[in-house]
Amino acid sequence: MDGAQPSSAREDETKALCIAQVRARDPDPVASLVDQIGTGPFALVCIFASPEADFRNLSEVANQRFGAADVLACTTAGELGNDGYEDGQIIAVGFRADLFASAALVIENLDDIEQQDVIDTLIKTRMALTRRAPDMVSEFAFLMVDGLSQREEHLTATLASGLGPVPLFGGSAGDGENYRDTWLSWNGEVRQNAGVLALVRSHCPVKVFSLDHFAPTDTRMVVTKADPERRIVSEINAEPAAKEYARILGKDPEQLGPYTFAAHPVVVRLGNSHHVRAIQQVNDRGELCFFSAINEGMVLTLASHQDMGSHLEEGLSELARVTPPQQILGCDCLLRKIEVGQIQRTREISDILKRHNVVGFSTYGEQIGALHVNQTLTGVAIYPPQLGE
Amino acid sequence: MSLINPADSLERQNEKLQQIANALMNRVEYGAEQPGAAYAQFERAALLEQRVRERTLELERTLDLLHESNAQLARANDETEAARRNLADAIETVSEGFALFDPDDVLVMCNSRFCRDFSDTARDLRPGLPFTGYVERVSQSRYLALPEDSTPEAWAEKRIRRHKDRHVMFNVQLARGRWLQVSEHRTANGGTVVLQTDVTDLIRLERQERTRLKDKQARMIRATLDHLNQGVAIFDENARLVGWNEKMATLLSISARRLHIGASFDGLIDGLDSDVAFTRGIDRAGFRRWAASDGPRQPISFEIRRGDRAVLHVFGRGMPDQGFVISCTDVTAEREAAQKLYELNEILEQRVLERTLELEDALNAAERANASKSRFVAAASHDLLQPLSAAKLFVSSLTDRCDNPDDSAVLAKTATALTSAEQIIDALLDISKLDSDGISFDVRSVALSEVLEPLRDEMEVLAARKGLSLRFVDCSLSVETDPAYLRRVVQNLLANAIRYTNEGRVVVGVRRNGGSARIEVWDTGPGIAEEDQSAIFEEFRRLDTRASDNDGLGLGLAIVERACARLGHPLGVWSEPGRGSCFMVNVPIADRAEPRRQLGPSKPKHLDFGQAGLIAMLVENDPQLRRALSILIESWGISVIEADDAQGALDLLEDLQIAPDVLLLDYQLGPGMNGIMLYHAICARMGHVPGAIVSADRSAELRKDCKAMGLKLLLKPLDRNKLGQFLKRAVQEAPQQASGGLRF
Repeated sequence: MDGAQPSSAREDETKALCIAQVRARDPDPVASLVDQIGTGPFALVCIFASPEADFRNLSEVANQRFGAADVLACTTAGELGNDGYEDGQIIAVGFRADLFASAALVIENLDDIEQQDVIDTLIKTRMALTRRAPDMVSEFAFLMVDGLSQREEHLTATLASGLGPVPLFGGSAGDGENYRDTWLSWNGEVRQNAGVLALVRSHCPVKVFSLDHFAPTDTRMVVTKADPERRIVSEINAEPAAKEYARILGKDPEQLGPYTFAAHPVVVRLGNSHHVRAIQQVNDRGELCFFSAINEGMVLTLASHQDMGSHLEEGLSELARVTPPQQILGCDCLLRKIEVGQIQRTREISDILKRHNVVGFSTYGEQIGALHVNQTLTGVAIYPPQLGE
Repeated sequence: MSLINPADSLERQNEKLQQIANALMNRVEYGAEQPGAAYAQFERAALLEQRVRERTLELERTLDLLHESNAQLARANDETEAARRNLADAIETVSEGFALFDPDDVLVMCNSRFCRDFSDTARDLRPGLPFTGYVERVSQSRYLALPEDSTPEAWAEKRIRRHKDRHVMFNVQLARGRWLQVSEHRTANGGTVVLQTDVTDLIRLERQERTRLKDKQARMIRATLDHLNQGVAIFDENARLVGWNEKMATLLSISARRLHIGASFDGLIDGLDSDVAFTRGIDRAGFRRWAASDGPRQPISFEIRRGDRAVLHVFGRGMPDQGFVISCTDVTAEREAAQKLYELNEILEQRVLERTLELEDALNAAERANASKSRFVAAASHDLLQPLSAAKLFVSSLTDRCDNPDDSAVLAKTATALTSAEQIIDALLDISKLDSDGISFDVRSVALSEVLEPLRDEMEVLAARKGLSLRFVDCSLSVETDPAYLRRVVQNLLANAIRYTNEGRVVVGVRRNGGSARIEVWDTGPGIAEEDQSAIFEEFRRLDTRASDNDGLGLGLAIVERACARLGHPLGVWSEPGRGSCFMVNVPIADRAEPRRQLGPSKPKHLDFGQAGLIAMLVENDPQLRRALSILIESWGISVIEADDAQGALDLLEDLQIAPDVLLLDYQLGPGMNGIMLYHAICARMGHVPGAIVSADRSAELRKDCKAMGLKLLLKPLDRNKLGQFLKRAVQEAPQQASGGLRF
């Protein structure tokens, strides 16, 4: 099979997630994926596809091939695959029907969400799933959302109201480093400006987590002028934003790029926690475009980053403290990949991800609970099933 | 890095600060209202998330705690259930009926034996049943043997009353003569455990035993009463007869018809024969009052007389149940014997009195006779000496004038006869003086040579006349004595020796003997048999009757003995028939440091040991001498314990448990031990005690034995001065032991 990863077959039948990987340019990627993981039965199949892939075709074919399973897919800014950080791949994750039960729904037109409708639908779906699989006691919700919609905060806030105690995590679909078009599909139907959500119950214990490796410094700045709708900050400290950001970093404004943003993120402090506001790019007018919500009058704090490798190892080991998870489904921020690439530690980080059986994709932002955050690894750890109890 | 670029002009900086402040204020004031609702939502969500996270952690902790307590509860439940099961199993193995009621008197559990005997009514005993329900069921059971005139209701009421007591234990009679012991025990929390034990066998055994014992006791009492030599009658608290023996009827001559159970005390007393008389201490009415008295009676004891002779002793005593016992003893024989003894005693006393008076008269007469004899001898001797002296003078003057040799020879014999008479009278006078109390000695320090040298000259003539060798061993000692009397003593001894020795020699020597000088007069005469040795000191006694009449009247040794006794010079004799004799006089050696002692007047020094609290033991088999010595020693303030033989002495010491300070032991104590053996025995028991042997035995063996034992030998007749000196020395020897304390 041309382009198929030779050893990608997840032969281990005892693993909860069945994972397949194929090159994006494979002429019939779905066939390869099916070859690797069979057709289940699966409760749910999630596909993370490089923007290089023919997303529409992929979605339609996959929807046909995986039977009754919900098939959700999104485009990525890179994949977490067999070799850790990868590009140009299609990854399929199958949730075995004997261990998982799921219900998927799509939220369209993110600019104009009927909040109450979404919440109602969500609650009904959730109740129905609970009735369907009462003996599966673990549950979580997995969200894939248009990474350029700039509506993630609104969506997660809405979803949180309807999810109750169910922990949510998710990732913003990406478009490589192009920032042009991101795509989602729900059972073969391709969408933009939308989110697809999977509610999952399982026999396997699960733990939803979010890791970042930043700590706030004393250097702060005030957003004096911004366009919150478009996540554009035009002035910081009453100066053009990019220029002032560069001055504070002690850099030339002309030199600002993805590496700078990845290495020198700013965070917003709320109470005793902090959240990264990742910068996407500098536009022509010297303004800063962000990956998450900003506002005038907000105070941004320059963050210093700890060693990402040791921090990641520590975080993942902590998840394995009592029992090692079988697999981890993760959404990893594009800027993390850029950061380690800049300091030439991609291989090292990839090894850590491989060792901990992390699978997923690189995002334009991550969702955890009701929050949309940046520059994190956010996901769910899936532990060996506890059957018969 | 500063908020404001310091490179800017101040105006620019100020402008920027104002804009910053403006932006911040807008945000503070409008916050969530602003168009940038996305950020506001994020902010809210983040804060909410944080709170949720905290709350979740708390919940998780709470859940953990809950799980833990659930687990504990489950364990506790398991344990409780197990304990309950164990308890149930345990009480089921108990052989008694067991029931547990909680503090509210509700049945918690019981075993299958509980109330098994009341199967008709108490079938539904199960947890939850109140105590009263249990009692009610039992009370109505037809297996319960209710006490007479008691209803089930009354029984139940009584049973529940008992339940209020802290400790309950009683027996319940069941039908068919079976018995159940029921006991209640309170548990720590106020609950009750009821135990039912089948005690039928126990009670049956106990009853049999009790009946058996009662029969046996009655028989034993009967036998005891009949066995007694006393009359016994027992009355109950109403003074009714309940027990008696035949002897009572016999002693008091009460007819058997009147002695029956229930007979009243008063009736019995009234029915006594009229010849029964209450003699001592009480009359019939008083006896009746004693019997009728309420409350505890004092024991009563009196005598009655029946007929002419019979005397009965009656003793009465109350009993704990207000009854009383009378016993009656025939004491006729004892009373008669006592009466006879009393009469005999009176006769004896009368006789002793008469005899004493007679003896007093005799003693007075003897004393009078003795005094007049002494006076007569003294006067006669004195009066005789005058004419004798005159006669001698006449004879000497006649000799001077006489030329006729025949006449001269007659005159010479006359002069010799007169001299002999004078000597005899002198000797009698001496004896008389020595016997009387009025003598005085001139005791001083004298060189023995002063006494002996003149005697040598005097006696050499006599010895030469008989062809005897007389030898004086020289001596340089000085002694404490009256030289005149000492000279007389030695002179007499020498004269005797020369007189009774027909051939051989006479030797005078002096030996140092401890603190005294022993003057020894040895002869090679016929010797004196041991049995005669004490007789030679008597007046007018001469053993050898062949001796010439001219050689004296045998007054010599009498004077020697008396003089030595009065001077305190011990006199000793050794003799062996056929070999010769030795007379020894011990005279104290004069100590120059010591002041001259004045022994006279002859009344012995008054001695008083009273302060020392001494105890002397006297063992002497001659009662009179013992008595005399006791009186003498006690007059000196020394306590005397006395015995008449060795065994008696040892027994006495054993009984008294005291140690005497000094021992005076007769040598001849009759059968058994002699004095020296007794001294051995006493010293063996209580260590060294100063002692003296009293004896008339003057043999050398005894002297030697005494010396070997460190014993003083006091010769009979005893000299009070010597005795006094001995006692004094004994006290000094053991001053620490003078208190006569206990030594055992």
